Amino acid sequence: MADANDASGSADKHVQVKLVLLGEAAVGKSSVVMRFVNNEFQANKEPTIGAAFLTQKCRLEDRVLRYEIWDTAGQERFHSLAPMYYRNAQAAVVVYDVTKAASLEKAKSWVKELQRQANPNIVIALAGNKVDLVTPAPAAETSFAESEDEPDDATATPGEISASAGSHGPESLRQVPKDEAQAYATEAGLLFFETSAKTGEGVVEIFTEIAKKIPIEYILSSTRGAAGRNGAGGARGTAAGGDVNLDGAGKKAGDACNC
Amino acid sequence: MSTTSAISQLRAHKEASKDELIRHFFSLPNESADVKAITLLGFDSMEINAVLTLQDQEDSFAGRLYLFPQYLCFASLDRKSVKFTVPLYTIRRVERLKSRAGIFALSLVVWHGMSIIVQLTSLRHTADLFCNQLREALKVQLQLGRMKTLKVFVKTLYSEVIIPPSSTQADKEREDGSLIKLEDGGDDNATASTEEYLGGLGLTFKFPGDAKKLREASKVKLWAEYFRSHGRHLTLLRYPKCTRLVQVGLPNRLRGELWETLSGSIYLRFANPGLYVRILKENEGKSTMSTEEIEKDLNRSLPEYSAYQSEKGIDTLRRVLTAYSWKNPEVGYCQAMNILVAAILIYMSEEQAFWLLEVLCDRLVPGYYSPSMYGTLLDQRVFEALVQRCLPIIHDHFQEVDVQLSVASLPWFLSLFINSMPMIFAFRVVDCFFAMGPKVLFQVGLAILKINGEKLLQIQDDGGFIHLMREYFASLGDSAHPYSNDPRVRAITNFQELLLISFREFSIITDELIASERRRFRSQIISEIEAFSKRAAVRNLKTMGRFTKDRTGLIYDVLFKAVCDAPQPSLEHESLDANGRPETRIGLQTFKVFLSNVATWARDETIVSNGFQERYDRRVADHDLINRLFYFWDTQDRGTLTFQDLVTGLDGVMFNDLMANIEWFFTLHDKDKDGSITKDEVLQLSESLLFIFRYEIGDGYLASVGRFLTNAFEFGDALLPHGDDEKVPEVAPNQPYLTLATFRMVVLADEVLESFFETDFSASFKLEPIPDDQPATGGFLGDLISNIVTEDSKNIFNKLADGIGKTMGKHKVNYRPSIGKTVPLQEPKMRESIVSPSMRKASSSSNVSQLSASTSTTALGDSASLSPELSTLSLNPAVTSPAYSFPLVQAVTAAIMERTTFAIDEAKDEEGEEDEEDVDLEDGLLEEVDAFLEAHDSGLTGAEAEAAKDLLHAPPMK
Ligand SMILES: Nc1nc2c(ncn2[C@@H]2O[C@H](COP(=O)(O)OP(=O)(O)OP(=O)(O)O)[C@@H](O)[C@H]2O)c(=O)[nH]1
Ligand SMILES: [Mg+2]
Repeated sequence: MADANDASGSADKHVQVKLVLLGEAAVGKSSVVMRFVNNEFQANKEPTIGAAFLTQKCRLEDRVLRYEIWDTAGQERFHSLAPMYYRNAQAAVVVYDVTKAASLEKAKSWVKELQRQANPNIVIALAGNKVDLVTPAPAAETSFAESEDEPDDATATPGEISASAGSHGPESLRQVPKDEAQAYATEAGLLFFETSAKTGEGVVEIFTEIAKKIPIEYILSSTRGAAGRNGAGGARGTAAGGDVNLDGAGKKAGDACNC
Repeated sequence: MSTTSAISQLRAHKEASKDELIRHFFSLPNESADVKAITLLGFDSMEINAVLTLQDQEDSFAGRLYLFPQYLCFASLDRKSVKFTVPLYTIRRVERLKSRAGIFALSLVVWHGMSIIVQLTSLRHTADLFCNQLREALKVQLQLGRMKTLKVFVKTLYSEVIIPPSSTQADKEREDGSLIKLEDGGDDNATASTEEYLGGLGLTFKFPGDAKKLREASKVKLWAEYFRSHGRHLTLLRYPKCTRLVQVGLPNRLRGELWETLSGSIYLRFANPGLYVRILKENEGKSTMSTEEIEKDLNRSLPEYSAYQSEKGIDTLRRVLTAYSWKNPEVGYCQAMNILVAAILIYMSEEQAFWLLEVLCDRLVPGYYSPSMYGTLLDQRVFEALVQRCLPIIHDHFQEVDVQLSVASLPWFLSLFINSMPMIFAFRVVDCFFAMGPKVLFQVGLAILKINGEKLLQIQDDGGFIHLMREYFASLGDSAHPYSNDPRVRAITNFQELLLISFREFSIITDELIASERRRFRSQIISEIEAFSKRAAVRNLKTMGRFTKDRTGLIYDVLFKAVCDAPQPSLEHESLDANGRPETRIGLQTFKVFLSNVATWARDETIVSNGFQERYDRRVADHDLINRLFYFWDTQDRGTLTFQDLVTGLDGVMFNDLMANIEWFFTLHDKDKDGSITKDEVLQLSESLLFIFRYEIGDGYLASVGRFLTNAFEFGDALLPHGDDEKVPEVAPNQPYLTLATFRMVVLADEVLESFFETDFSASFKLEPIPDDQPATGGFLGDLISNIVTEDSKNIFNKLADGIGKTMGKHKVNYRPSIGKTVPLQEPKMRESIVSPSMRKASSSSNVSQLSASTSTTALGDSASLSPELSTLSLNPAVTSPAYSFPLVQAVTAAIMERTTFAIDEAKDEEGEEDEEDVDLEDGLLEEVDAFLEAHDSGLTGAEAEAAKDLLHAPPMK
């Protein structure tokens, strides 16, 4: 379903979704995005400075979504920059590392911040990344990034791998039980997945589920005119006019300072 | 997010003084590095008009010569053509030159033989003084042994390898009589072997880029020539050609040395030999938040460069980053520093990189990597303002489509473009940055926008902006004019064009402009950080108790003010919470300040009226009760309180009803929390009450504390197990004496105390918006004071007004009561007997309480009328327990005497000249050099130049 090239013929149905990734440093935010956008994994990814920007198109039924992804820096001191990136975001993926308990705590505080500070209709997904580290490798070569880079496998892989998740060996690295995170996500009203940027598990699913949950009709109805005229840029062009956003003009002032 | 203390430091920031600015201009270390020399010398700087001439150089430059305790500096009048910073320890000899009458000239010979001629053109008297100071300063350098260190130090530098030893000249000069004579360092050049000089990982792992394409060999040759005529490293004189050589890109092997020379970090490395290694050693094995964060990023720093795929490279990087985090714990480690340090380590040794990082964080981009990153935010605001000024059309378009400049530009600044441009180009920007300072970042940033101007006007959103920039950076190596017929024009790359535009079209962006823009936006940025931190702190509370968000915000404000006002070293305020977030923790001293702004009784507040104004003077009170409260709220026994502790603590008292308050107060004094208080604790509790009541009007409160004590002891004693002898048994200091139930009964037996615990106590905690100034009411100077901005001048004003008021006999100081209710003095008998007669027989104190009122009144003087109960306080034997002294209880009577009645309403471009000799050099390298520059000459003309040149051949004076 991740489809970067085939957008033709449906320009009038393009929906732009601004999505922001948040989470502690080195939990794998950039890696998740790289997996989603380029379907590749790079060990030793450099830390993100400020934020990185990527886009990816995504087909949902008869419609094409264009994700505008802001991948932010994880270190605590970059925190004050985050509002710059999550303002007007319609979706957020908050990432933690299943092998680091503290990273879930940080994720929770991001969720709290988003729920209070960001766009009130924002769709939030929680991602427990690096699940490959706690999953017995189906074959020895999984530990090498390069071997994962087969094209077009994004839709195929995830199901099988998660099915094989065992409880011996690597499980000992796990610090966040899946149940616990799931329970929290349910309580807080978040989408939840365990993912691996390395194997690709769960990555596409996150973005698909977000796409399903986003009030697309609403975005479409408020931006169609502009989108038809000049494609991708149009949606924001209208928004910049001052009146339109997902939540409507009235709420704009409110999300700037909500406490 | 950052803690309150980090922000309070920002607030306390002082703008650099004029002296500091000059030191910055010459890339000197902070004055504190000169302390030794300053104390030996007794001066910190001197300046004089001068004309600079150099051997073998055509031009002379008029400018100003500055003498600092350890450095001699010069800047041409235009402040950009020529400048130098020469450490005094490199000067081997100073001579007065014999020349035409009226000219006062010195020849300064540095350790490698180069001679700098300065003609002092100020008045003769000043020139003499300057010479004397210089002589003294040179002597001090000898004393400090700096000149000896030099010999070893220069061996670490690559330029010594590429310069053939010019010992002949140096030898000759040594024969002359010299003012200051030193062992000859020049001879040792020959021994400076290739092995010894410091270099980066690039020496082992290769430098990025194609050496041939980068024209390494020609560049090194040009620099070697420049070094020969204009000095090198510590003695490098910066003539226009130097800047041009920087702009065409530094050669790999010299890059590290030139970075430290141009940025001035070399002076720090010279002055602190071995410090780097020592810091590492002293902190070996220690682990902090920073070391953890560093560890996470070690494998994530320029991973594509081969050195960082090896242990050796990673270890090098780890050592520099951790050493810096030890050196400057307030900065610690910030992502982006890893990339920066990984980059500079390709060209520099660890120690060189360490000191360069210090200069970077301290002087070049202050605050960029600090926990609040205020420097980064500030420079983004400055950049935005400059875009608005220089490229208004682009700025307006961005506004219109709601695109934020910093989404793209912030990483440019934070990583000095290393993260944005291909490495070889980024390094060339970095070359210019170290040579010309932070303005370069702005100039390059503006040029990028200008070059892409037309396309930028097409973008509609942040994403489009980022994409465009990414494409542009990827094309930096391409031809800027691919369709030109002229092959030379075609050869110009986008990057060359970028630098050209940066320095030619944005030469108006000067360091002064940047400094003043930073000043302009500073306080705005700080308030934004404050507001952000406040929001985050409130949001991160686990519980707000019964407080609303707004009221919690008020608590935060009071805490913030306390941290700002408290006279404590800031680092004590910092620690990390369970999630690794930095959090504010306050110690007892800060807590006192905090509480004084919350609880009316935790401050001594006076109302001063002097005829002109009426104002409140608030001082932090000090009492055991406050200490007790601190430890009471410190439920985790950490010796500090967090924002959460304060919120929870206040929640525990501000919403209490009568019974809850009585219990709260009781528990506060029940140290071992066993449900009953000891006899001493009863006394302490009374002390606390007296402290709270100390400024109340009338004696009602004091009397009720007296009654309380009497009753408490009566009761307590009655409940003690005792024998037949009717004597009060001995009470052990830690023996339970009064239970909560008894305490409650004693309190409820007294109307004043009952009403105090019912409402007044909770109400004595007040969360009010913090007034920036105390309100000035009435008086003809009232308006004036509101115009007086600073705390200092306000204090002066207040003193003055008080002084006048005193002479006019209008000066009055009254204490403001904490509760401010008038409580009627109760008749002693009214509720006297809460202890049943049967119990009373055991009581000893009942006898004492029969003392007549008149006795005590006379003892206390006639201005105060006292209740009989009160007088028992000082007489009751149980109270004057030998182990403790209770000053308040004893001083109560004295306080009453001093009290005055209280009745006040509730108030409320680089330029340079052509350089013909070099034109014939291979590769036309200098053509590129010259491409940057328009002809420029701030040199001297005519007769003055003649005179200056004559000096070159002038013999020394006898
Ligand atoms: N085994 C495994 N490693 C991962 C996975 N995702 C990321 N990593 C590794 O974890 C490290 C950090 O990944 P990044 O994607 O840079 O993390 P980030 O969250 O973007 O970090 P910041 O930009 O610093 O906030 C890298 O070394 C990745 O190779 C994963 O799913 N499995
Ligand atoms: Mg990242």
